[in-house]
Amino acid sequence: MSEAGHWFESDPLWFKHAVFYEIHVRGFFDGNADGMGDLRGVTDKLDYLEWLGIDCIWLLPMYPSPLRDGGYDIADFFDIHPDYGTVEDFRAFVDAAHQRQIRVIADLVMNHTSSDHPWFQEARSSPDSPKRDWYVWSDTDDGYADARVIFVDTEPSNWTWDPLAGQYYWHRFFSHQPDLNYENPEVQDEMLRVLRFWLDLGIDGFRLDAVPYLYEVEGTNCENLPRTHEYLRRVREEVDANYPDRVLLAEANQWPEDVVEYFGDGDECHMAFQFPIMPRMFMSLRREDSTPMYEILERTPSIPDNCQWGLFLRNHDELTLEMVTDDERDYMYAEYAKDPRMKLNLGIRRRLAPLLDNGRDEIELIHAILFSLPGSPVLYYGDEIGMGDNVFLGDRDGVRTPMHWTGDRNGGFSTADFAQLYLPPLMDPVYGYAAVNVEAQLRTPTSLLRWLHRFVELRKQHPVFGLGTYEPREPSNPRVFAHVRRWEEEIVLCVHNLARTAQAAELDLAEFDGLVPEEMFGQTRFPPIGELPYLLTFGARGFYWFRLVEEVG
Amino acid sequence: MSEIRELVVALPEEELREFVLAQRWYGSKSEEVASVRAVDAFPLREEGEPLLAVAVVEVRFQSGTHDLYNVPVGLRRGAGGFTSVDGWAAFDALESEQLVLDLVGLIGKQATLEHEGGMLQFGAVDGAVPAGPVRAMGAEQSNTSVVLDERLVLKLYRKLEAGVNPELELLRFLTERGFPAIASLQGWAAHVGQPLDATLAILQDFVPVRDDGWALALKDLEAGGDGFVGLVRGLGEVTGEMHSILASDAADPAFAPEEPSGEALALIVARIDEEIEQVFNSLPDEPALEPIAGRGDDLRDRLQEIGQSGSLGRLIRHHGDYHLGQVLWTENEDWVVLDFEGEPARPLRERRHKRSPLRDVAGMLRSFSYAASASELEHGVEPPPGWEGQVRSEFLAGYLAKVDPALVPADASLERRLRLFELEKALYELHYELGHRPNWVRVPVAGILQLLDEPA
Repeated sequence: MSEAGHWFESDPLWFKHAVFYEIHVRGFFDGNADGMGDLRGVTDKLDYLEWLGIDCIWLLPMYPSPLRDGGYDIADFFDIHPDYGTVEDFRAFVDAAHQRQIRVIADLVMNHTSSDHPWFQEARSSPDSPKRDWYVWSDTDDGYADARVIFVDTEPSNWTWDPLAGQYYWHRFFSHQPDLNYENPEVQDEMLRVLRFWLDLGIDGFRLDAVPYLYEVEGTNCENLPRTHEYLRRVREEVDANYPDRVLLAEANQWPEDVVEYFGDGDECHMAFQFPIMPRMFMSLRREDSTPMYEILERTPSIPDNCQWGLFLRNHDELTLEMVTDDERDYMYAEYAKDPRMKLNLGIRRRLAPLLDNGRDEIELIHAILFSLPGSPVLYYGDEIGMGDNVFLGDRDGVRTPMHWTGDRNGGFSTADFAQLYLPPLMDPVYGYAAVNVEAQLRTPTSLLRWLHRFVELRKQHPVFGLGTYEPREPSNPRVFAHVRRWEEEIVLCVHNLARTAQAAELDLAEFDGLVPEEMFGQTRFPPIGELPYLLTFGARGFYWFRLVEEVG
Repeated sequence: MSEIRELVVALPEEELREFVLAQRWYGSKSEEVASVRAVDAFPLREEGEPLLAVAVVEVRFQSGTHDLYNVPVGLRRGAGGFTSVDGWAAFDALESEQLVLDLVGLIGKQATLEHEGGMLQFGAVDGAVPAGPVRAMGAEQSNTSVVLDERLVLKLYRKLEAGVNPELELLRFLTERGFPAIASLQGWAAHVGQPLDATLAILQDFVPVRDDGWALALKDLEAGGDGFVGLVRGLGEVTGEMHSILASDAADPAFAPEEPSGEALALIVARIDEEIEQVFNSLPDEPALEPIAGRGDDLRDRLQEIGQSGSLGRLIRHHGDYHLGQVLWTENEDWVVLDFEGEPARPLRERRHKRSPLRDVAGMLRSFSYAASASELEHGVEPPPGWEGQVRSEFLAGYLAKVDPALVPADASLERRLRLFELEKALYELHYELGHRPNWVRVPVAGILQLLDEPA
């Protein structure tokens, strides 16, 4: 039994009823006053995270890296970036998190390395280098022509000429991120060694970045290939054999029918992000129409019992619009990226609160929808207090600014000089740290933070949200999104008014004839359900979650 | 699978449920129970008769959440017990002197018993093991204690939660550093493996007592109320020394004192504010609650006042559930501190938090107030004028004389922080009494009223 299990009851399905919280270490808290967040800083803030009620922290990449892609360009898989601390700090952080019953997963990029990685430097140095075959080389740049270019704003091709190597190398992302060659068994073995290294340090799992692209086959689009799935099954076998209660979370920005392949028969990844639902939640809200959500959920195949969707509203990347139609993308740009600076690649680089015009009702409603859907919600640091973004910063830095802890200097993020900070904290009158910070919201009972805390708590008291069925209940009124969740003895009905105006809706609940809807926050009982359609009225952007309970005398 | 494990997990659900739900230590009396079953068993004695195993009993609630309980079960052939399985009668192992001695013997031997999903580990400070006799301690609550040979106490933790029990950590720390005012640790039993790592029991010295602090205070009040005031300064000193020692090891991460973060005070205020909201939202319509009914918002305003910025001192491991019932006045006329588990209604991870030691101080101050109210309300004896104030200031004087001054804020902040933690404690008391002892509700009500109405 490893140390990791010491503070937890065995629960191989813990991730199914967990709330995740994504942290950019650089932006969270500066524990050594050098202007950059670090692991000691995150450790210092565990009391806050425990209070918030989250179950699992997801760390963005914390490995040594030249940081040309936010750390997703890894230069050493076996160490911690010196800005963030040491492997010892990491171990201490994981242990401190576990003592608070918070688990920790970390990003791992299996597909590629930084071009600074010693493996790549060795590989390009000579065709005879033992590492040469760890990457994908070609004398021409016309291979795998059916593979799309993902970073269309910066990369003209998936091949880049290396004058030192005298060959082109393959990369699905930035040209400074050469893809590893998974055809080579040494690469396969080495990546398993990486996994074991961190699992032995007590980590609870990985978010596997960019998994669809591990293998290349001529004549295909080089995504979701069978060999990729075969390798993931090998990874899973290794984890299951030696490390109980861990999780593999796949990042596969694909259509649902392709993403489910990453669950295999419950023998590949435990979790995968549900990408396509995300833009549709925003679309439904703006259009006041539940159809886009119902449609994508209808289109989402069922998944094995030991698997779970990861659901999110926003993350460290742009709000990605790859999994929508061209028309839908135009609509999203028109509604949510009015300033062209807000666009990046096929997406919108903004945080949650500015996307929703800082509307408190809208922010609450979209969280209610997120928390009600089948899957485990993943929150992005800062969104729990409604932090803003800074579109004038390059790439995705605008959504990666320092966390606002207090109204003090540097937002309480760091005691370093302002000029030393890795990015300036927000200081504008609406979203700046003087107005939006953890301390002030803790002290304000009606704040977004306090509201969200209660919401997380409620969800955790009712495992049905993580484990239950999803049964759509399309009401008479398309502006209302309603569905039922069911697990063991518990039946929950979630109804949300997407409109800016008051609405009424009739729901066919005849199968629950005789049960009484009890509102979950205030335990207020509503009139019993009968055979006739059940009428509910809503305020603007209002929602109800009901437990359906037996009537008692 | 071992035979005893098979027998225990096959215990009939209905009788097991009846047995468990009727126990004093069963702690979720207000929740709707869906099922009760033994999900695992760790064998302790697999040969001869009776057999002995620790049953892990899962109580599952309607909402789908669950609690686990530690239930040592003896099995003997024939009838009797609370239930039977396959011709074996199952009974509460702590009722059997022989089985209790078996358990303590394993501690003395520092045994390790492996089983399918993990192992039981027994540890001893110095191997001294009594031969008997064994008697129940009485006054059981969330745990079960038995006295051996009038020398040692075996204390069995009933509710199982993953991780080290804070009492084992604190007693070990204080024992190793020679802190005299405790019942020293002699041994422990723990499980490692599936379904969880957990502390099952501890063995500690039995302290012959004259009275616990609560009885002492009440008897003294009945007799006129002079004696206790003279003793309470010593209690403050012991408390201060205890905190200083608990804060003395910067090299041990579980005990190293910490500086509070920028939002630490706001976090405390938020937690208390939520507790006020919760308690007041579901306040039953009872005469005893009338004085505070509808005053939840006033209380939240008062909280904002006493939770204003200012120093918090350092954060350290501390007792966590400190009141007069947890301190003993011994035959040797010394104070001894007991029960380092923290408030039983809070989850283990929370009971292990480092927080301001003033929480303990406030707990004891609330307890003085409790004693004064109890004397008046339960025994009809009004405390002499100024009794509570005198006891408070004596205790605080003793405490501040001995505690490491770096641990607590000075001057104005000290008063405010004490009020803050007294409010937190009074809310906990109210919540507890509403659930467990409705007759006592008026005591925390009086305390809350006092905090509400005193000048800011």
